[in-house]
Amino acid sequence: MLGVFSTGLLLGALLSASVLWLASGLAAPLPAGWRAAATVALGALAVARDAGLVRLRLPQNARQVPQDVLQRDLVRGALQFGFEMGTGVRTYVSASLPYALAAGVLLANDGGVALATGLGFALGRAATPTLRFASGAGEEWDDRLIARLPLLTTGAAAAATAAWAVLALRG
Amino acid sequence: MRDRQFLASPAWRRWSTDPAVPVLALISGAVAASWYAPLLTWAILGGLGGYALSGSV
Repeated sequence: MLGVFSTGLLLGALLSASVLWLASGLAAPLPAGWRAAATVALGALAVARDAGLVRLRLPQNARQVPQDVLQRDLVRGALQFGFEMGTGVRTYVSASLPYALAAGVLLANDGGVALATGLGFALGRAATPTLRFASGAGEEWDDRLIARLPLLTTGAAAAATAAWAVLALRG
Repeated sequence: MRDRQFLASPAWRRWSTDPAVPVLALISGAVAASWYAPLLTWAILGGLGGYALSGSV
């Protein structure tokens, strides 16, 4: 069932990546150096937001994916649930990095970047249920995740910003 | 029940499946890849972004 869910994640993430790539043509007239610098700046903003230094309301679909999608048909439901989660726009967005990533893909205007980011996003999304299952103690794993999530999301955004800075410097 | 689950998990299993493990691995990968492999870097950052949403269902 985890495989079906992950397939849905992949399909959803690739759909979002394709939409972002198609829209990224709008950023094409901007010089590449400006776009790279803007990505770094947006990453830094994501770090500041996750660290609580700035308060910024960002758009999100403030509701959970309905649980009944899994009750109607387990396989089809898992695929649909994964697809909706994979798009990244169907439920709450509890971290700032996905926003910076979406903006980065838009600014990159590169099909390869969109594809790679979409694939990575789906695998990252799939890591959560995989690791929870592998732990053998799901509820205890949830408690540890909740306790560490603020630090993990801020650290992830900081690392992404550093990586974007390196990419910008390398040109 | 939860205490029993907790005690039943061997230490190595708790450490290896800790929620911080993917973040640490992906951060290390992103920092290393950013110098040599831009596309791989984006893929790893995508992974970080996806995992950062672990609290959203």
